Amino acid sequence: MPIYAPSLPPRPELSEGSHPIAVLAKFDLRRVVKRKVGFFIFGFIFLAILLVELIVLYGKYLINTSPGLGGLKEFANRIMTQGADYQAGLIDWWMLVPLWFMMAFMVGGIISRDSLYRIRPLIYAHPVRPQDYITAKALSAFIIPMAVMLPFVLLPWGFSLAMAGKAGPIWISAPLYLLPAAIIIGLLMAAVTLGASAMAGSPRASFGWVLGIVLGTSAIGGIFAGALQSKQWMAMSPYALVQAWPQLIFNVSDPLLKWAPTLAGTVLHIAFWTWIAVKRTKPSEAVL
Amino acid sequence: MIRLERASLRYGDILGLSPTSFELPEGGGITGLLGPNGAGKSSLIQLLAGLLPPSGGEVNIFGEAPFRNPNVLVRIGLVPEGDRFPVGLNGTRWLRMMGELSGLSGSELDAAIQRSLLAVGMETRAQLGFSSMSKGMRQRIRMAQALLHEPDLLILDEPFNGMDPEARLNLMDLMRELSSAGKRIIVSSHILGEVAQLTERILLLFRGRLLAEGSVPEIRELLDRHPIELRVASEDVRQVARWAVEQGELVALRMDEGAAILAVRNPRDFLPKLQDAIAAGQLPLRALDPLDLNLDAVFQYLTKDNA
Repeated sequence: MPIYAPSLPPRPELSEGSHPIAVLAKFDLRRVVKRKVGFFIFGFIFLAILLVELIVLYGKYLINTSPGLGGLKEFANRIMTQGADYQAGLIDWWMLVPLWFMMAFMVGGIISRDSLYRIRPLIYAHPVRPQDYITAKALSAFIIPMAVMLPFVLLPWGFSLAMAGKAGPIWISAPLYLLPAAIIIGLLMAAVTLGASAMAGSPRASFGWVLGIVLGTSAIGGIFAGALQSKQWMAMSPYALVQAWPQLIFNVSDPLLKWAPTLAGTVLHIAFWTWIAVKRTKPSEAVL
Repeated sequence: MIRLERASLRYGDILGLSPTSFELPEGGGITGLLGPNGAGKSSLIQLLAGLLPPSGGEVNIFGEAPFRNPNVLVRIGLVPEGDRFPVGLNGTRWLRMMGELSGLSGSELDAAIQRSLLAVGMETRAQLGFSSMSKGMRQRIRMAQALLHEPDLLILDEPFNGMDPEARLNLMDLMRELSSAGKRIIVSSHILGEVAQLTERILLLFRGRLLAEGSVPEIRELLDRHPIELRVASEDVRQVARWAVEQGELVALRMDEGAAILAVRNPRDFLPKLQDAIAAGQLPLRALDPLDLNLDAVFQYLTKDNA
Protein backbone atom coordinates (compact mmCIF):
# COMPACT_ATOMS: atom_id res chain seq x y z
CA MET A 1 0.00 0.00 0.00
CA PRO A 2 1.66 3.26 -1.06
CA ILE A 3 2.00 6.21 1.29
CA TYR A 4 1.25 9.64 -0.12
CA ALA A 5 2.53 13.02 0.93
CA PRO A 6 -0.21 14.54 3.07
CA SER A 7 -2.10 17.67 2.29
CA LEU A 8 -3.55 18.62 5.61
CA PRO A 9 -5.89 21.38 6.74
CA PRO A 10 -4.47 24.41 8.55
CA ARG A 11 -3.52 23.89 12.15
CA PRO A 12 -6.47 24.68 14.47
CA GLU A 13 -6.53 27.69 16.73
CA LEU A 14 -6.13 26.91 20.42
CA SER A 15 -9.55 28.24 21.27
CA GLU A 16 -11.29 25.90 18.85
CA GLY A 17 -12.73 22.47 19.58
CA SER A 18 -13.90 20.88 22.81
CA HIS A 19 -12.14 21.30 26.13
CA PRO A 20 -9.73 18.40 26.84
CA ILE A 21 -11.76 17.49 29.95
CA ALA A 22 -14.87 17.01 27.82
CA VAL A 23 -12.95 15.06 25.17
CA LEU A 24 -11.35 12.67 27.65
CA ALA A 25 -14.49 12.21 29.75
CA LYS A 26 -16.58 11.53 26.65
CA PHE A 27 -14.05 8.95 25.50
CA ASP A 28 -14.03 7.18 28.88
CA LEU A 29 -17.80 7.20 29.32
CA ARG A 30 -18.28 5.85 25.84
CA ARG A 31 -15.82 3.07 26.57
CA VAL A 32 -17.57 2.14 29.83
CA VAL A 33 -20.98 2.08 28.18
CA LYS A 34 -19.60 -0.08 25.37
CA ARG A 35 -18.49 -2.76 27.81
CA LYS A 36 -21.36 -5.00 26.87
CA VAL A 37 -20.87 -7.76 29.45
CA GLY A 38 -20.57 -5.35 32.37
CA PHE A 39 -23.37 -3.19 31.10
CA PHE A 40 -25.69 -6.19 30.79
CA ILE A 41 -24.81 -7.74 34.18
CA PHE A 42 -25.03 -4.58 36.23
CA GLY A 43 -27.89 -3.13 34.22
CA PHE A 44 -29.87 -6.29 34.93
CA ILE A 45 -29.03 -6.20 38.67
CA PHE A 46 -29.97 -2.56 39.10
CA LEU A 47 -33.13 -2.85 37.02
CA ALA A 48 -34.22 -5.82 39.12
CA ILE A 49 -33.61 -3.89 42.35
CA LEU A 50 -35.43 -0.85 41.01
CA LEU A 51 -38.35 -2.98 39.91
CA VAL A 52 -38.65 -4.45 43.41
CA GLU A 53 -38.65 -0.93 44.85
CA LEU A 54 -41.44 0.16 42.55
CA ILE A 55 -43.49 -3.00 43.21
CA VAL A 56 -43.16 -2.37 46.97
CA LEU A 57 -44.37 1.17 46.45
CA TYR A 58 -47.31 0.07 44.37
CA GLY A 59 -48.19 -2.59 46.94
CA LYS A 60 -48.15 0.05 49.64
CA TYR A 61 -50.38 2.25 47.54
CA LEU A 62 -52.87 -0.55 46.97
CA ILE A 63 -52.98 -1.43 50.66
CA ASN A 64 -53.61 2.19 51.61
CA THR A 65 -56.27 2.78 49.01
CA SER A 66 -58.15 -0.52 48.63
CA PRO A 67 -60.77 -1.14 51.34
CA GLY A 68 -60.51 -4.87 50.69
CA LEU A 69 -56.88 -4.89 51.79
CA GLY A 70 -57.54 -2.91 54.99
CA GLY A 71 -56.59 -5.85 57.17
CA LEU A 72 -53.09 -5.86 55.79
CA LYS A 73 -52.55 -2.18 56.50
CA GLU A 74 -51.04 -2.52 59.94
CA PHE A 75 -48.78 -5.35 58.87
CA ALA A 76 -47.73 -3.45 55.73
CA ASN A 77 -46.94 -0.31 57.69
CA ARG A 78 -44.72 -2.35 59.96
CA ILE A 79 -42.69 -4.06 57.21
CA MET A 80 -42.79 -1.25 54.67
CA THR A 81 -42.17 1.90 56.63
CA GLN A 82 -42.59 5.08 54.67
CA GLY A 83 -40.67 7.45 56.93
CA ALA A 84 -37.01 8.38 57.06
CA ASP A 85 -35.84 4.76 57.30
CA TYR A 86 -37.69 3.79 54.17
CA GLN A 87 -36.43 6.76 52.15
CA ALA A 88 -32.85 6.42 53.37
CA GLY A 89 -33.12 2.76 52.44
CA LEU A 90 -33.57 3.64 48.79
CA ILE A 91 -29.78 3.85 48.71
CA ASP A 92 -28.67 1.03 50.96
CA TRP A 93 -26.38 -1.99 51.00
CA TRP A 94 -28.38 -4.03 48.50
CA MET A 95 -27.73 -1.33 45.95
CA LEU A 96 -24.33 -0.14 47.19
CA VAL A 97 -22.70 -3.60 47.16
CA PRO A 98 -23.35 -4.18 43.44
CA LEU A 99 -22.42 -0.54 42.86
CA TRP A 100 -18.97 -1.10 44.40
CA PHE A 101 -18.57 -4.19 42.21
CA MET A 102 -19.61 -2.19 39.20
CA MET A 103 -17.10 0.54 40.01
CA ALA A 104 -14.34 -2.05 40.41
CA PHE A 105 -15.26 -3.93 37.24
CA MET A 106 -16.27 -1.20 34.84
CA VAL A 107 -14.57 1.95 36.12
CA GLY A 108 -11.50 0.41 37.76
CA GLY A 109 -9.52 0.58 34.53
CA ILE A 110 -10.10 4.27 34.03
CA ILE A 111 -6.47 5.21 34.78
CA SER A 112 -4.75 1.82 34.85
CA ARG A 113 -5.72 1.17 31.23
CA ASP A 114 -3.86 4.34 30.24
CA SER A 115 -0.86 3.14 32.27
CA LEU A 116 -0.97 -0.31 30.71
CA TYR A 117 -1.13 0.99 27.15
CA ARG A 118 1.14 3.99 27.83
CA ILE A 119 -1.47 6.43 26.62
CA ARG A 120 -0.70 9.18 29.12
CA PRO A 121 2.55 10.39 27.49
CA LEU A 122 0.69 10.77 24.24
CA ILE A 123 -2.14 12.66 25.94
CA TYR A 124 0.30 14.98 27.70
CA ALA A 125 2.04 15.59 24.38
CA HIS A 126 -1.19 17.37 23.36
CA PRO A 127 -2.34 20.63 24.94
CA VAL A 128 -3.69 18.72 27.96
CA ARG A 129 -2.65 19.67 31.48
CA PRO A 130 -2.36 17.00 34.18
CA GLN A 131 -5.25 18.67 36.02
CA ASP A 132 -7.38 18.34 32.86
CA TYR A 133 -6.54 14.66 32.72
CA ILE A 134 -7.35 13.89 36.34
CA THR A 135 -10.48 16.07 36.28
CA ALA A 136 -11.76 14.20 33.23
CA LYS A 137 -11.13 10.87 34.91
CA ALA A 138 -12.78 12.03 38.13
CA LEU A 139 -15.77 13.35 36.20
CA SER A 140 -16.26 10.03 34.43
CA ALA A 141 -15.81 8.06 37.66
CA PHE A 142 -18.40 10.32 39.34
CA ILE A 143 -20.95 10.33 36.53
CA ILE A 144 -21.19 6.54 36.37
CA PRO A 145 -22.37 5.83 39.96
CA MET A 146 -24.56 8.92 39.78
CA ALA A 147 -26.21 7.55 36.66
CA VAL A 148 -27.05 4.41 38.63
CA MET A 149 -28.21 6.18 41.79
CA LEU A 150 -30.34 8.85 40.13
CA PRO A 151 -33.09 6.45 39.00
CA PHE A 152 -33.26 5.11 42.57
CA VAL A 153 -33.78 8.65 43.81
CA LEU A 154 -36.09 9.97 41.15
CA LEU A 155 -38.13 7.02 39.89
CA PRO A 156 -39.69 5.87 43.22
CA TRP A 157 -40.46 9.47 44.05
CA GLY A 158 -41.94 10.21 40.64
CA PHE A 159 -43.85 6.93 40.71
CA SER A 160 -45.36 7.69 44.08
CA LEU A 161 -46.27 11.19 43.03
CA ALA A 162 -47.98 9.81 39.96
CA MET A 163 -49.99 7.41 42.10
CA ALA A 164 -51.04 9.58 44.99
CA GLY A 165 -49.69 13.10 44.66
CA LYS A 166 -48.27 14.68 47.77
CA ALA A 167 -50.22 12.33 49.97
CA GLY A 168 -48.43 9.32 48.49
CA PRO A 169 -46.11 7.00 50.30
CA ILE A 170 -42.95 8.97 49.42
CA TRP A 171 -42.55 12.53 50.54
CA ILE A 172 -41.11 15.42 48.64
CA SER A 173 -38.03 15.07 50.88
CA ALA A 174 -36.79 11.97 49.01
CA PRO A 175 -35.03 13.68 46.10
CA LEU A 176 -34.06 16.70 48.23
CA TYR A 177 -32.27 14.54 50.79
CA LEU A 178 -31.15 11.65 48.62
CA LEU A 179 -29.56 13.80 45.94
CA PRO A 180 -26.91 15.29 48.28
CA ALA A 181 -26.33 11.82 49.73
CA ALA A 182 -25.93 10.39 46.22
CA ILE A 183 -23.49 13.17 45.30
CA ILE A 184 -21.32 12.48 48.36
CA ILE A 185 -21.45 8.73 47.71
CA GLY A 186 -20.55 9.33 44.07
CA LEU A 187 -17.58 11.50 45.06
CA LEU A 188 -16.34 8.96 47.58
CA MET A 189 -16.68 6.02 45.19
CA ALA A 190 -15.02 8.00 42.41
CA ALA A 191 -12.08 9.00 44.63
CA VAL A 192 -11.47 5.45 45.90
CA THR A 193 -11.75 4.02 42.38
CA LEU A 194 -9.43 6.67 40.92
CA GLY A 195 -6.82 6.10 43.62
CA ALA A 196 -6.98 2.33 43.20
CA SER A 197 -6.84 2.60 39.43
CA ALA A 198 -3.85 4.94 39.60
CA MET A 199 -1.94 2.44 41.73
CA ALA A 200 -2.77 -0.55 39.56
CA GLY A 201 -0.90 -1.54 36.44
CA SER A 202 -3.88 -3.01 34.60
CA PRO A 203 -7.70 -2.93 34.72
CA ARG A 204 -7.70 -6.43 36.20
CA ALA A 205 -5.40 -5.30 39.00
CA SER A 206 -7.64 -2.26 39.54
CA PHE A 207 -10.58 -4.57 40.19
CA GLY A 208 -8.56 -6.18 42.97
CA TRP A 209 -7.37 -2.86 44.31
CA VAL A 210 -10.87 -1.35 44.57
CA LEU A 211 -12.35 -4.37 46.30
CA GLY A 212 -9.22 -4.77 48.39
CA ILE A 213 -9.48 -1.21 49.68
CA VAL A 214 -13.20 -1.52 50.43
CA LEU A 215 -12.99 -4.93 52.08
CA GLY A 216 -9.62 -4.33 53.74
CA THR A 217 -10.65 -1.09 55.42
CA SER A 218 -13.95 -2.69 56.45
CA ALA A 219 -12.06 -5.55 58.09
CA ILE A 220 -9.66 -3.21 59.87
CA GLY A 221 -12.54 -0.93 60.92
CA GLY A 222 -14.42 -3.96 62.20
CA ILE A 223 -11.44 -5.11 64.26
CA PHE A 224 -11.05 -1.65 65.83
CA ALA A 225 -14.79 -1.35 66.40
CA GLY A 226 -14.85 -4.72 68.14
CA ALA A 227 -11.71 -4.14 70.19
CA LEU A 228 -12.63 -0.63 71.30
CA GLN A 229 -16.36 -1.32 71.65
CA SER A 230 -17.32 1.54 69.33
CA LYS A 231 -18.83 1.03 65.91
CA GLN A 232 -17.72 4.55 64.94
CA TRP A 233 -14.38 3.02 63.93
CA MET A 234 -16.22 1.62 60.94
CA ALA A 235 -15.83 5.13 59.51
CA MET A 236 -12.43 3.87 58.31
CA SER A 237 -14.30 1.94 55.66
CA PRO A 238 -15.63 3.63 52.50
CA TYR A 239 -18.27 0.92 52.41
CA ALA A 240 -19.64 1.95 55.82
CA LEU A 241 -19.37 5.63 54.89
CA VAL A 242 -21.49 5.32 51.77
CA GLN A 243 -24.09 3.46 53.77
CA ALA A 244 -24.06 6.06 56.54
CA TRP A 245 -24.69 9.17 54.44
CA PRO A 246 -28.34 8.56 53.44
CA GLN A 247 -29.12 7.57 57.04
CA LEU A 248 -27.55 10.73 58.46
CA ILE A 249 -29.13 13.06 55.95
CA PHE A 250 -32.58 11.57 56.58
CA ASN A 251 -31.88 11.59 60.33
CA VAL A 252 -32.90 7.96 60.83
CA SER A 253 -33.35 6.74 64.39
CA ASP A 254 -30.27 4.50 64.63
CA PRO A 255 -27.71 5.43 62.00
CA LEU A 256 -24.71 3.21 61.35
CA LEU A 257 -22.30 6.07 62.10
CA LYS A 258 -22.48 9.50 63.68
CA TRP A 259 -21.95 12.75 61.83
CA ALA A 260 -18.39 13.57 62.96
CA PRO A 261 -16.69 10.26 62.08
CA THR A 262 -18.66 10.05 58.83
CA LEU A 263 -17.62 13.54 57.79
CA ALA A 264 -14.01 13.02 58.85
CA GLY A 265 -13.76 9.60 57.19
CA THR A 266 -15.30 10.86 53.95
CA VAL A 267 -13.07 13.94 53.73
CA LEU A 268 -9.96 11.90 54.53
CA HIS A 269 -10.76 9.18 52.01
CA ILE A 270 -11.59 11.63 49.23
CA ALA A 271 -8.48 13.72 49.95
CA PHE A 272 -6.15 10.73 50.26
CA TRP A 273 -7.26 8.82 47.17
CA THR A 274 -7.42 11.97 45.07
CA TRP A 275 -3.90 12.82 46.18
CA ILE A 276 -2.74 9.33 45.19
CA ALA A 277 -4.40 9.67 41.79
CA VAL A 278 -2.90 13.13 41.18
CA LYS A 279 0.54 11.98 42.25
CA ARG A 280 0.46 8.85 40.12
CA THR A 281 -0.69 10.63 36.96
CA LYS A 282 1.67 13.58 36.96
CA PRO A 283 3.86 13.89 33.86
CA SER A 284 6.94 12.41 35.53
CA GLU A 285 4.96 9.19 35.97
CA ALA A 286 4.05 9.24 32.29
CA VAL A 287 7.48 8.29 31.04
CA LEU A 288 7.80 7.02 27.49
CA MET B 1 13.57 26.43 16.13
CA ILE B 2 14.91 23.89 18.64
CA ARG B 3 17.50 25.05 21.13
CA LEU B 4 18.75 23.24 24.19
CA GLU B 5 21.09 25.02 26.53
CA ARG B 6 22.65 22.77 29.13
CA ALA B 7 19.30 21.04 29.47
CA SER B 8 19.42 18.03 31.76
CA LEU B 9 16.88 15.58 33.10
CA ARG B 10 16.92 13.71 36.36
CA TYR B 11 14.58 10.99 37.62
CA GLY B 12 15.17 11.37 41.32
CA ASP B 13 18.79 10.40 41.85
CA ILE B 14 19.19 8.96 38.38
CA LEU B 15 20.56 11.22 35.69
CA GLY B 16 18.63 10.53 32.49
CA LEU B 17 20.33 13.21 30.43
CA SER B 18 23.48 15.15 31.27
CA PRO B 19 23.56 18.89 30.50
CA THR B 20 23.07 18.99 26.76
CA SER B 21 23.25 21.83 24.29
CA PHE B 22 22.43 21.88 20.60
CA GLU B 23 20.43 23.82 18.12
CA LEU B 24 18.37 22.77 15.12
CA PRO B 25 17.49 25.52 12.66
CA GLU B 26 14.15 26.62 11.24
CA GLY B 27 12.84 24.79 8.19
CA GLY B 28 12.48 21.20 7.17
CA GLY B 29 14.97 18.45 7.73
CA ILE B 30 15.40 15.05 9.28
CA THR B 31 17.64 14.58 12.30
CA GLY B 32 18.51 11.13 13.57
CA LEU B 33 18.60 10.64 17.30
CA LEU B 34 20.98 7.76 17.78
CA GLY B 35 22.18 5.77 20.70
CA PRO B 36 22.00 2.34 22.26
CA ASN B 37 19.25 1.48 24.75
CA GLY B 38 19.62 3.61 27.88
CA ALA B 39 21.55 6.32 26.04
CA GLY B 40 19.08 9.04 26.96
CA LYS B 41 17.06 9.19 23.75
CA SER B 42 13.72 8.87 25.51
CA SER B 43 14.76 11.50 28.08
CA LEU B 44 15.62 13.90 25.30
CA ILE B 45 12.34 13.17 23.54
CA GLN B 46 10.44 13.83 26.75
CA LEU B 47 12.07 17.24 27.01
CA LEU B 48 11.45 18.05 23.34
CA ALA B 49 7.83 16.86 23.43
CA GLY B 50 7.13 18.94 26.54
CA LEU B 51 6.31 15.92 28.68
CA LEU B 52 8.76 16.89 31.39
CA PRO B 53 10.50 20.11 32.37
CA PRO B 54 14.30 20.08 32.31
CA SER B 55 15.89 19.48 35.72
CA GLY B 56 18.45 22.10 34.75
CA GLY B 57 19.15 24.38 31.79
CA GLU B 58 16.69 25.43 29.13
CA VAL B 59 14.66 23.85 26.35
CA ASN B 60 13.27 26.13 23.69
CA ILE B 61 11.03 24.99 20.87
CA PHE B 62 9.68 27.66 18.50
CA GLY B 63 11.08 30.23 20.92
CA GLU B 64 9.21 28.96 23.99
CA ALA B 65 9.61 26.32 26.70
CA PRO B 66 7.47 23.36 25.61
CA PHE B 67 6.52 21.96 29.04
CA ARG B 68 2.77 22.45 29.59
CA ASN B 69 2.79 25.10 26.89
CA PRO B 70 -0.21 24.66 24.58
CA ASN B 71 1.25 27.13 22.05
CA VAL B 72 4.17 24.79 21.50
CA LEU B 73 2.43 21.45 22.03
CA VAL B 74 -0.13 22.14 19.32
CA ARG B 75 2.79 22.42 16.86
CA ILE B 76 4.37 19.09 17.83
CA GLY B 77 3.39 15.62 16.65
CA LEU B 78 4.68 12.72 18.74
CA VAL B 79 4.84 9.06 17.81
CA PRO B 80 5.90 7.31 21.02
CA GLU B 81 7.68 4.00 21.04
CA GLY B 82 5.74 0.80 21.58
CA ASP B 83 2.87 -1.07 20.09
CA ARG B 84 0.21 -0.93 22.73
CA PHE B 85 -3.32 0.16 22.02
CA PRO B 86 -6.41 -0.21 24.17
CA VAL B 87 -8.33 -3.39 23.46
CA GLY B 88 -11.71 -2.96 21.83
CA LEU B 89 -10.84 0.31 20.13
CA ASN B 90 -10.62 1.01 16.42
CA GLY B 91 -8.33 3.32 14.52
CA THR B 92 -10.89 5.95 13.64
CA ARG B 93 -12.16 6.31 17.19
CA TRP B 94 -8.61 6.67 18.43
CA LEU B 95 -7.75 9.31 15.84
CA ARG B 96 -10.96 11.16 16.65
CA MET B 97 -10.02 11.48 20.32
CA MET B 98 -6.46 12.53 19.52
CA GLY B 99 -7.69 15.05 16.96
CA GLU B 100 -10.14 16.53 19.44
CA LEU B 101 -7.33 16.83 21.99
CA SER B 102 -5.43 18.88 19.42
CA GLY B 103 -8.37 21.25 19.08
CA LEU B 104 -9.96 19.87 15.91
CA SER B 105 -13.70 19.36 15.72
CA GLY B 106 -16.63 18.79 13.36
CA SER B 107 -16.02 18.63 9.64
CA GLU B 108 -12.48 19.90 10.09
CA LEU B 109 -11.70 16.88 12.25
CA ASP B 110 -13.35 14.49 9.75
CA ALA B 111 -11.30 15.98 6.92
CA ALA B 112 -8.08 15.82 8.95
CA ILE B 113 -8.67 12.15 9.79
CA GLN B 114 -9.37 11.28 6.16
CA ARG B 115 -6.31 13.12 4.90
CA SER B 116 -3.90 11.76 7.47
CA LEU B 117 -5.20 8.22 6.88
CA LEU B 118 -4.71 8.72 3.16
CA ALA B 119 -1.21 9.96 3.84
CA VAL B 120 -0.26 6.74 5.60
CA GLY B 121 -2.24 4.46 3.29
CA MET B 122 -4.82 3.39 5.88
CA GLU B 123 -7.94 5.08 4.55
CA THR B 124 -9.84 1.83 4.00
CA ARG B 125 -8.71 -0.04 7.12
CA ALA B 126 -8.93 2.44 9.96
CA GLN B 127 -12.31 1.06 11.04
CA LEU B 128 -10.64 -2.19 12.06
CA GLY B 129 -10.10 -2.85 15.74
CA PHE B 130 -6.49 -2.54 16.88
CA SER B 131 -6.47 -6.22 17.78
CA SER B 132 -7.28 -7.07 14.13
CA MET B 133 -4.50 -4.88 12.74
CA SER B 134 -0.96 -5.95 11.93
CA LYS B 135 1.95 -4.26 13.72
CA GLY B 136 2.70 -2.22 10.64
CA MET B 137 -0.91 -1.05 10.36
CA ARG B 138 -0.92 0.05 13.99
CA GLN B 139 2.30 1.94 13.41
CA ARG B 140 0.70 3.73 10.48
CA ILE B 141 -2.22 4.73 12.70
CA ARG B 142 0.29 6.14 15.19
CA MET B 143 1.85 8.11 12.37
CA ALA B 144 -1.57 9.33 11.21
CA GLN B 145 -2.29 10.48 14.76
CA ALA B 146 0.88 12.57 14.78
CA LEU B 147 -0.02 14.16 11.44
CA LEU B 148 -3.64 15.02 12.29
CA HIS B 149 -3.03 18.58 13.43
CA GLU B 150 -0.33 19.36 10.89
CA PRO B 151 2.56 19.81 13.29
CA ASP B 152 5.73 21.71 12.40
CA LEU B 153 7.87 19.34 14.42
CA LEU B 154 7.46 15.56 14.28
CA ILE B 155 9.13 13.46 16.94
CA LEU B 156 9.22 9.77 16.10
CA ASP B 157 10.50 7.32 18.69
CA GLU B 158 11.61 4.08 17.03
CA PRO B 159 9.03 4.44 14.25
CA PHE B 160 10.22 1.47 12.21
CA ASN B 161 9.77 -1.12 14.93
CA GLY B 162 7.64 -3.99 13.69
CA MET B 163 7.30 -2.70 10.15
CA ASP B 164 7.93 -4.93 7.17
CA PRO B 165 10.56 -3.75 4.66
CA GLU B 166 8.01 -2.29 2.25
CA ALA B 167 6.24 -0.36 4.98
CA ARG B 168 9.63 0.94 6.20
CA LEU B 169 10.53 2.22 2.76
CA ASN B 170 7.10 3.82 2.40
CA LEU B 171 7.41 5.51 5.78
CA MET B 172 10.88 6.75 4.86
CA ASP B 173 9.49 8.22 1.65
CA LEU B 174 6.72 9.91 3.59
CA MET B 175 9.23 11.38 6.04
CA ARG B 176 11.39 12.68 3.22
CA GLU B 177 8.38 14.32 1.60
CA LEU B 178 7.25 15.87 4.87
CA SER B 179 10.77 17.12 5.42
CA SER B 180 10.94 18.70 1.98
CA ALA B 181 7.53 20.29 2.72
CA GLY B 182 9.16 22.19 5.59
CA LYS B 183 8.59 19.87 8.53
CA ARG B 184 11.37 19.26 11.02
CA ILE B 185 11.51 15.56 11.87
CA ILE B 186 13.46 13.97 14.71
CA VAL B 187 13.74 10.20 14.40
CA SER B 188 15.03 8.18 17.29
CA SER B 189 16.49 4.78 16.62
CA HIS B 190 19.07 2.39 17.90
CA ILE B 191 19.43 0.86 14.46
CA LEU B 192 22.04 2.84 12.59
CA GLY B 193 21.13 1.58 9.15
CA GLU B 194 17.62 2.98 9.39
CA VAL B 195 18.83 6.45 10.25
CA ALA B 196 21.65 6.30 7.74
CA GLN B 197 19.10 5.74 4.96
CA LEU B 198 17.14 8.77 6.04
CA THR B 199 19.62 11.44 6.98
CA GLU B 200 23.23 12.30 7.59
CA ARG B 201 22.31 14.77 10.29
CA ILE B 202 22.53 13.05 13.67
CA LEU B 203 22.51 13.60 17.38
CA LEU B 204 24.48 10.81 18.98
CA LEU B 205 23.75 9.98 22.60
CA PHE B 206 25.53 7.58 24.88
CA ARG B 207 25.03 6.98 28.59
CA GLY B 208 22.96 10.12 28.99
CA ARG B 209 25.40 12.38 27.17
CA LEU B 210 25.26 14.00 23.78
CA LEU B 211 28.49 12.76 22.21
CA ALA B 212 28.22 14.38 18.83
CA GLU B 213 25.98 16.52 16.69
CA GLY B 214 26.23 17.21 12.98
CA SER B 215 26.58 15.31 9.76
CA VAL B 216 28.37 11.96 9.75
CA PRO B 217 31.42 13.23 7.78
CA GLU B 218 31.67 16.30 10.01
CA ILE B 219 31.64 14.19 13.13
CA ARG B 220 34.01 11.66 11.61
CA GLU B 221 36.48 14.43 10.87
CA LEU B 222 36.48 15.48 14.48
CA LEU B 223 37.54 12.01 15.56
CA ASP B 224 41.28 12.70 15.32
CA ARG B 225 42.19 9.71 17.42
CA HIS B 226 40.84 7.41 14.78
CA PRO B 227 42.58 7.72 11.39
CA ILE B 228 40.31 7.21 8.42
CA GLU B 229 40.76 3.90 6.65
CA LEU B 230 40.76 3.87 2.86
CA ARG B 231 40.77 0.71 0.83
CA VAL B 232 42.63 1.39 -2.43
CA ALA B 233 42.12 -1.43 -4.91
CA SER B 234 44.73 -1.48 -7.62
CA GLU B 235 46.38 -3.78 -10.18
CA ASP B 236 49.73 -2.82 -8.64
CA VAL B 237 49.21 -2.71 -4.91
CA ARG B 238 52.94 -2.44 -4.20
CA GLN B 239 53.14 0.79 -6.17
CA VAL B 240 50.23 2.22 -4.17
CA ALA B 241 52.01 1.20 -0.96
CA ARG B 242 55.28 2.76 -2.09
CA TRP B 243 53.54 6.03 -2.92
CA ALA B 244 51.53 6.01 0.35
CA VAL B 245 54.50 5.59 2.70
CA GLU B 246 55.99 8.78 1.31
CA GLN B 247 52.92 10.76 2.45
CA GLY B 248 53.09 12.41 5.87
CA GLU B 249 49.41 11.71 6.60
CA LEU B 250 49.84 7.94 6.52
CA VAL B 251 49.54 6.34 9.94
CA ALA B 252 49.33 2.65 9.06
CA LEU B 253 49.35 0.44 6.02
CA ARG B 254 48.25 -3.13 5.49
CA MET B 255 47.76 -5.24 2.48
CA ASP B 256 44.52 -6.90 1.51
CA GLU B 257 43.62 -9.07 -1.47
CA GLY B 258 44.30 -6.81 -4.46
CA ALA B 259 44.17 -3.67 -2.33
CA ALA B 260 46.10 -1.59 0.15
CA ILE B 261 44.37 -0.36 3.25
CA LEU B 262 45.66 3.04 4.22
CA ALA B 263 44.99 4.60 7.63
CA VAL B 264 45.43 8.34 7.22
CA ARG B 265 45.01 11.49 9.24
CA ASN B 266 43.86 14.80 7.75
CA PRO B 267 41.92 13.34 4.83
CA ARG B 268 41.33 16.87 3.53
CA ASP B 269 45.05 17.10 2.79
CA PHE B 270 45.57 13.49 1.81
CA LEU B 271 42.71 12.99 -0.64
CA PRO B 272 43.69 15.81 -3.05
CA LYS B 273 47.22 14.36 -3.18
CA LEU B 274 45.79 10.93 -3.96
CA GLN B 275 43.59 12.46 -6.63
CA ASP B 276 46.58 14.25 -8.22
CA ALA B 277 48.64 11.07 -8.19
CA ILE B 278 45.88 9.15 -9.92
CA ALA B 279 45.38 11.90 -12.47
CA ALA B 280 49.13 11.92 -13.17
CA GLY B 281 49.03 8.18 -13.82
CA GLN B 282 51.31 7.34 -10.88
CA LEU B 283 48.74 5.02 -9.30
CA PRO B 284 46.81 2.43 -11.33
CA LEU B 285 43.64 2.75 -9.26
CA ARG B 286 40.71 0.37 -9.65
CA ALA B 287 38.53 1.44 -6.71
CA LEU B 288 38.63 3.67 -3.65
CA ASP B 289 36.48 2.70 -0.69
CA PRO B 290 36.38 4.59 2.62
CA LEU B 291 35.93 1.89 5.24
CA ASP B 292 34.98 3.91 8.31
CA LEU B 293 33.26 7.03 7.09
CA ASN B 294 29.87 5.50 7.67
CA LEU B 295 27.54 5.91 10.61
CA ASP B 296 28.38 2.53 12.12
CA ALA B 297 32.06 3.38 12.34
CA VAL B 298 31.40 6.83 13.82
CA PHE B 299 29.05 5.33 16.34
CA GLN B 300 31.53 2.61 17.30
CA TYR B 301 34.43 5.06 17.72
CA LEU B 302 32.41 7.53 19.75
CA THR B 303 30.90 4.98 22.07
CA LYS B 304 34.23 3.17 22.54
CA ASP B 305 36.04 6.42 23.33
CA ASN B 306 33.42 7.36 25.89
CA ALA B 307 32.84 3.97 27.43
